[in-house]
Formats: sequence, structure tokens, C-alpha cells
Amino acid sequence: MDLDRNRKLITAALAAAGRGDRDALQTVYRLTAAKLFAVCMRILGERSEAEDALQEVYMTVWRKAAAFDPALSSPMTWLIAIARNRAIDRLRAHGQNRHMESIEEAVGLADDKPTPDAALQGAQEQAKLQHCIDGLANHERAALRGAFFDGNTYEELAERMKVPLGTMKSWIRRAMIKLKAWLEQ
Amino acid sequence: MTDMGNDHSFSADELQAAEYALGVLAGAEREAAARRIARERAFAALVAEWEGRLAPWAADIPEIAPPPQVWERITAALPSAPGQHVGFWQSLVFWRSFGMVSALAAACLAVLLYLSMGSQQAALVASIEGEGQRIFVASVDVKHATVTVMPVAYRPDPTRVPELWLIPSGAKPLPLGVLTADRTAQIAIPPALAAQARRDAILAVSLEPPGGSPTGQPTGPVIGSGKLTNL
Repeated sequence: MDLDRNRKLITAALAAAGRGDRDALQTVYRLTAAKLFAVCMRILGERSEAEDALQEVYMTVWRKAAAFDPALSSPMTWLIAIARNRAIDRLRAHGQNRHMESIEEAVGLADDKPTPDAALQGAQEQAKLQHCIDGLANHERAALRGAFFDGNTYEELAERMKVPLGTMKSWIRRAMIKLKAWLEQ
Repeated sequence: MTDMGNDHSFSADELQAAEYALGVLAGAEREAAARRIARERAFAALVAEWEGRLAPWAADIPEIAPPPQVWERITAALPSAPGQHVGFWQSLVFWRSFGMVSALAAACLAVLLYLSMGSQQAALVASIEGEGQRIFVASVDVKHATVTVMPVAYRPDPTRVPELWLIPSGAKPLPLGVLTADRTAQIAIPPALAAQARRDAILAVSLEPPGGSPTGQPTGPVIGSGKLTNL
């Protein structure tokens, strides 16, 4: 799949949706729903919840499409952030996070290998992020994964990794500081 | 790679933005960050930067095709256009002021309003809109479990009939009955569905073969929808 073409397609469709074009919203949906549904499923862990979240995601996209600025972020970044936020808001509102099994530090090593995904932004960006994440300490990587993929809070991560809350906060903060510094290199 | 990190390398803003983007905040802390995003451009930009750093990670999540009814529900729930959604009262003023209400329709509107006011606590209304047009106006009498639907700008389809659906939030459309192009329809809500006809449920109209959908779910295009609100 031609990356740039897809990015342009989604950007153009978002702009048209922002002007009230429903067909354009359907185009955005057709190009991106499978990825965003997967993001919601991963965080919510339950199909009907993920379906409701996905509906909210595209209602949000419809309302905010006019505010999307392609100069500030890629369309997939913008859409993934909306999907993660709607799913996380839903998770927080409805209570129990399903991802509460304990995380052993070693598990952080058994990362799924990143699958090349042309629909997402550049493979280079992915490779760079993955390289940085690989450079983190095991416990830092495991904590970030729990937050990003499972939607865990600081408190939940502390419980899953059996460390005090303050320790977890400092792990995450250090990991984020390192990530930012390395990504800017 | 060298460990450049220490807990003092981030400003408080940067930390809050990163925490929000990663999703580790809950409750009041998450709400506070969301409020700042809505109000402060600089803070919103910090959050967007962090979302940009983390988003490539989502490439690791294999795609899952959502079931087709999700898109149907989105279509049914979309207002006419962003920022153009108007309340019921404004819409009445709109239709009157532009002289677009036929004498018949105006009379029906009056009847509708009368009905609504006759049972104030139990009345819900919905403006069923599609393509920027108000197609039907509906009023639900909760006490007597009836829905009254008046055509406003419905253009008859030569081969299909309009069918009314009740869509409780987060659920599948429930069939209420077939409408007509030229007169107000009063439909009894089946007892099993009566409890679903409440505020924030959606009324939608789709085009179906004569006699109505053969499957119990919409088979044709949804031409309009509107949320039930208290009058």
C-alpha cells in the first residue's frame, strides 16, 4: 500500500468531513475503522464495549474534523489518539480494567514483534520508536506497554507490577524522559 | 543510548501532557488535563506532540474489522451537519419564518404540540433530519405508548416506503412501523419496546420495500434520524 497516498486520502476525507460531507466520513471510516476498532478492543477487551467506543470515536471525528490540522499531526496519529482516549474514558467510567494479571519484568522482553503496517505512518518512525523502546529497562518497557496497550492507570500498573505507586510514577516518568530525548536525536 | 533521564528534566506541563497522552491518569487528574487541552492551545500542542511520539506503537496491534452495524449506528446518529444542529423550538421558528410549512403540516404541528402539552411529563420529541433537511417530526406519548410522526419535507420514493426505527443507545434498531408520505401517522409502540422509548434514544427512518423491512433490521438507506428529547 502506498503510504503517502493513503495519508493524503485520509487527510482530504477529514477536510471534507469537516465541511459536513457524510460520504467523506464514510471514506475515513473505511480506511481506518479496522485499526481503530483494534485499538478499542485491545484497551476495552470486550467486543460490545469496543463497538460502542468505536461509534463514539467517529462521532467525535465528525464533530472535530474541521479542527484537524495536517500541519500539526498525521491523520492516523490524530485518529489513534481519539480512539485511545474514547476507549480509556469508557474504561474509567465503567470501572474494572480487564488487564490486571500480574506483569513479570521478564514479560517485557517477550514483545510481539512489530508488524509492518503501511496504513500507519512511516515505517521509519515505527522503527525509531521501537528502537528507543528496546533501549528502555525491562521494567520501564513493561510499564509503558501496560499503559499504552492495556489502558492501565498508575495505580493499576503499580498493582500489576507489585511496586509502590511512587516507584511506578518514577519509572514511567524516567521512561518518558528517555523516550523524548532519544526520539529527538 | 545513554540514560539522560532524571525526574527533574520535564516541566510540570510536559509531564502532565505525557501522562495524559500515555493514559495513566484517572479521575480528577485525567479530567483536569482534558480541561486544559480544551482551553490552552500550548498545552494541547504538548499533548499532541506526545500522541505523535506514541502513536506509531499502535502498528503492533493487528487490525480487526468492526461489524457492519457500527457504521449503520454512526450514520443513524449523525446530526445534519457539524455545528448546524438546532433545537426543536428553533427549528419550528425556522420552518415558519421561511414559509416552508404547508398549511397541512402547520396544522399537524399544532396538533403535535397540543398532544405534547396535554401530557407534559410524558412527552418526548424528535426532529428527524437527513441531508440537512428536517424530514419528519415525531412526538412520543410515553404514558399511552404511542408515537406520532408528521412528514415535513419527506419526498416520496417511487418504489420504497419510509419505515420508522427506535434505536436505544448502544443497541440495534427496533422496528416501529411504516410511515406515509402525506399524512401524520400514529403508531402504537409494542409493549416490549415501550421502555426503550426514552430520552436520548434515536428515531430513524429508512427506505424499505412496501410493507416494511423483511428482516426486522433496516435493509435500505437511512434517510434521517433524530434524538428523543424532552419538550
